[in-house]
Amino acid sequence: MTDTTPETSGPNPSHSTTEMVRQSLARRNRKQVVLQGFGVAAIAFALSMLVILVGSLVTSGYPALTQTHVALEVFVDPEEVDPDNLPGGGYDEMLAASLGSYFPDVDMSDRASARTVTKILSNGAQLQLREQVIETPSLIGETITITVPAADNYDQLNKGLIQRATPEENRRLNDAEIARFDTLDAAGAISTPLNTALITSADSRFPELAGLKGAIIGSFWALLTCFLISFPIGIGAAIYLEEFAPKNRLSDIIEININNLAAVPSVVFGLLALAVFLGWFGMPRSAPLVGGMTLALMTLPTIIIATRAALKAVPPSIREAALGVGASKQQVVFHHVLPLAMPGILTGTIIGLAQALGETAPLLLIGMNAFITSAPTGPFDSATALPTQIFIWADSPERGFVSRTSAAILVLLTFLITMNAIAIYLRQKFERKW
Amino acid sequence: MVLSAFLLLLGATLLAYFLNRKAAISIRAGGTQLHSLESFHGLFAALSVLVPVLAGILIWLVLRGSAVDWFLLQSLPEGTFDGLDSGASQLIVAEIKSIAGGRVFGTPDPWKTEAAERLLRYNEIADWAMVALVAISAAVLLWFARSTVGAQFRARQSAERIVLGLMMFCATAAIFVTIGIVFALTFETIKFFQIVPFTEFLFGTSWEPQIPIREDQVAAEGAFGAVPVFLGTIVISTVALLVAVPVGLMSAIYLNEFAPHRLRSAVKPVLEILAGVPTVVYGFFAVLTVAPAIRQFAATIGVDVAPNTALAAGSVMGVMLIPFISSFADDALSAVPRSLRDGALALGATRGEMMLNVLFPAAIPGIVGGVLLAVSRAIGETMIVVMAAGLIAKMTINPLDSVTAVTVQIVTLLIGDTSFDNPKTLSAFALGMMLFLATLFINIFALRIVRKYREIYD
Amino acid sequence: MNDMRKIEREARMTDTKITARNVNVFYGETHAIKDVDVDIADKTVTAFIGPSGCGKSTFLRCLNRMNDTIDICQVTGDIRLDGTDINAASVDPVQLRAQIGMVFQKPNPFPKSIYDNVAYGPKIHGLARTKADMDEIVERSLRRGAIWDEVKDRLDQPGTGLSGGQQQRLCIARAVATEPEVLLMDEPCSALDPIATAQVEELIDELRQEYSVVIVTHSMQQAARVSQKTAFFHLGNLVEYNDTGLIFSNPNDERTESYITGRIG
Repeated sequence: MTDTTPETSGPNPSHSTTEMVRQSLARRNRKQVVLQGFGVAAIAFALSMLVILVGSLVTSGYPALTQTHVALEVFVDPEEVDPDNLPGGGYDEMLAASLGSYFPDVDMSDRASARTVTKILSNGAQLQLREQVIETPSLIGETITITVPAADNYDQLNKGLIQRATPEENRRLNDAEIARFDTLDAAGAISTPLNTALITSADSRFPELAGLKGAIIGSFWALLTCFLISFPIGIGAAIYLEEFAPKNRLSDIIEININNLAAVPSVVFGLLALAVFLGWFGMPRSAPLVGGMTLALMTLPTIIIATRAALKAVPPSIREAALGVGASKQQVVFHHVLPLAMPGILTGTIIGLAQALGETAPLLLIGMNAFITSAPTGPFDSATALPTQIFIWADSPERGFVSRTSAAILVLLTFLITMNAIAIYLRQKFERKW
Repeated sequence: MVLSAFLLLLGATLLAYFLNRKAAISIRAGGTQLHSLESFHGLFAALSVLVPVLAGILIWLVLRGSAVDWFLLQSLPEGTFDGLDSGASQLIVAEIKSIAGGRVFGTPDPWKTEAAERLLRYNEIADWAMVALVAISAAVLLWFARSTVGAQFRARQSAERIVLGLMMFCATAAIFVTIGIVFALTFETIKFFQIVPFTEFLFGTSWEPQIPIREDQVAAEGAFGAVPVFLGTIVISTVALLVAVPVGLMSAIYLNEFAPHRLRSAVKPVLEILAGVPTVVYGFFAVLTVAPAIRQFAATIGVDVAPNTALAAGSVMGVMLIPFISSFADDALSAVPRSLRDGALALGATRGEMMLNVLFPAAIPGIVGGVLLAVSRAIGETMIVVMAAGLIAKMTINPLDSVTAVTVQIVTLLIGDTSFDNPKTLSAFALGMMLFLATLFINIFALRIVRKYREIYD
Repeated sequence: MNDMRKIEREARMTDTKITARNVNVFYGETHAIKDVDVDIADKTVTAFIGPSGCGKSTFLRCLNRMNDTIDICQVTGDIRLDGTDINAASVDPVQLRAQIGMVFQKPNPFPKSIYDNVAYGPKIHGLARTKADMDEIVERSLRRGAIWDEVKDRLDQPGTGLSGGQQQRLCIARAVATEPEVLLMDEPCSALDPIATAQVEELIDELRQEYSVVIVTHSMQQAARVSQKTAFFHLGNLVEYNDTGLIFSNPNDERTESYITGRIG
């Protein structure tokens, strides 16, 4: 220790230190406050973005929760319907006649002028009437009350999205059209019930008729397929890697590979599905089955990683205890470790499935953005999924689809929140402190 | 038919289990000591029937479509496809299939109707063949499994070997997926580079992939220089990172060191919500709210901007990446040992100085790893740019202009009917290849950094 | 016993650096330190000994308010440095810690160069006006840390690359670089091998010339070797505080005796 020179001469430096520190303190504390300010600002920005996101979706999706309907007294004219050819009846003429009773000044026999009145009704109105008559042919000759959806423009007028104050030339409805709507309204024919069609109908070109039934069922089949494939394979892979795999190059490669796969862009999985499932194996386009298989490939790494974490959390003492009473390694895993890890595995799986439910890009590439007006009856039928339906609607030019897109997003978010809530509930209920 | 094959298999499996179990029980009842428990004899039998037959059914289902198509093509009259490109011949096959499916439009040529009937027959033969094969193979395996039962047979070891094999197969499934991606992309990319020279794709500055598919279509001559597409992706990703990195890092710093405990436990899950929102929702948010807001703001200060600016897509993508970066940075900061914090504080550092001079630099490797993963997310992100960015490839780095991106081109080129032999479709795969390679390298690099970083402080 | 301590204390009143009265520390529900009174003399090595979990480290951390960084930890009582209450609202812990340096159980060099490790304290406190000043402070501190000769040719290399003993001496050099008045050492040798321990102990003895050193150790031999005064803690109580020689040769309290002779601990 020859290099120590403890004898420093001169004044005691301590007091100068204290003084210097005191002088700089205010400045230094100010710096820290600035740093904290940046932090608070950053968090405020992130949170306000979330609020704006949800807020704009709710305000724009809110109108789509109701739908303007028109109640009409329709005389099912025996002259228009041939009982032997019920579907071929002139149902739009009956509706026109019914509407005409409100507008004595309009010549309903002239097709063009009748059209100015009947376009208040949705194109789905005559289909609704037709279905009702086909179901109960005894209605022929009767006068029935039927409530049919109004066309999109009038729906928007009723909800105030088309404003009367707008100059006529910039408005999508002219003064005469608005006046006719007001006549119906004054007669008490207009109602605005809950838009159940949003859930119970399939897609349509007309916003007032479009619903999510097909997309929800398509998503259901795709998720079911995804679960049936990725859950067993993911658990099998995780158990092997965590409990049985020798520590060698191969298991290293598998490990790196799984981590990388989890970060491959989703659209690349779409390319894989398009080239392999559709191109090489000749599987059907737009089918939820293929969509589910594609999503399974993406969910697989998530489930493997979550399962391995859950298996790791089971303490070695459990394994040793079971091995100690003479269980085989597989009996240890399947009788003791796996059941204890199950809540963690299920939580990870649900979160993985929630991600898969929101995934869009790969489904676009395998054609799940087709325009399909009926709900699929099985996993082989062409269908859309919730996120691709949102994409289709977002791309549609009709004004009514804007609020329907937001409403569809709210439906999707509801599903996602429910799934995540289940995951959180599971995690908390079965959380175990070792 | 498929269902009945599965039911048949299920029945055979259960039968195998109970037969063997019963046989083992009767051996034991005869007073002989068994090597394995009876249920393992049953399990072994069940697995030996289930696994091979199930694998057979799945392979059959995968290959059936292609096989039937091949037979159908062979049965068509000579010269049907002479002078037709693959798009047109696919149309013919599709028409035959729709006739077979009962959807007839107009009066099809009689040879098509005949072909449709043949197709139906082939399908029927295939179905019956499958059921028959399942029945036969299940019976053979059942007989084999039954013959194994004996006092000395190590049923537990054998059954566990099968289970272990199954689990190994599952573990390698992930590798098969990667191999599948590499093969699919390489195969189509090579086809693309046979049509378009590699150098033009990589260095060309003009991207106009809309070439005529049919003779009578009028469209621009195709050009496949991908530089402007790459540039667009870079511009949008840069905007995204300029939003996400500072906001993410600052929130992580605040939450990690300064935030009161209750605020931290409230804010973290809320930030996670941002990460859980599907990207299609962000895309719509960009179109519905952010892009109009930017346009309006630009108008008030008198700047003319494109309707779908890189700024709108990029900033919304940035919001999506905030929780990603902040949780990575938070983890990295928390991984710095407490002794370093104590060391700095004991020297008289303020908490801010401790954070900026000691904790943050010590956590940088982990943070860089997280930021790199965010970069790879940004360039691979699809829905936000598909909905909010442009379609036209421009050589510009102006974020107020409309630019396109690699993923946008992939999706727009492949939406709708696709055939695999024109450069328009194939170029999407070439772009996909570039995207895959770029993200792969970034990911491997980032994961390595993160892993190394964890090792330092473990 | 109490009377004896009072007399002793009065005799040395002039050079008392830190006085602590009625110090209590709570970790949530746990009462970790119970009514501790102690006077720490200037230019002296004071050792805190006692069995594991007796609260000696906790008490040490009260002296520079390091317990502030632990949320659930609550300190009451009166601790004065040169007569100033260190827990007063007007005292910034930052300033306090510049006056009272600390060395930890495990060497904790920052992942920076050796030079930057030592320069960090002076830099944040603004103690050096020029680069030359800083060079001088770094050299002086490293010499005081008895490590200058070993590192003078590689000041730009990371401090984490040194051996354990060198790292700990670097941390001591880092602590003295801010010219503190008191140096707290929390079991500074427990992570070191015997040779490194000997070097650090030698260094502690030299540091006594300029600083008041408080060292926590659970090696009684170490306490006997380096300290002039020794305090024995047991279950959160300060059992006995006296000259080191007296504590080891003639303890007043039987608990102290039991510990020293190896019956508790």
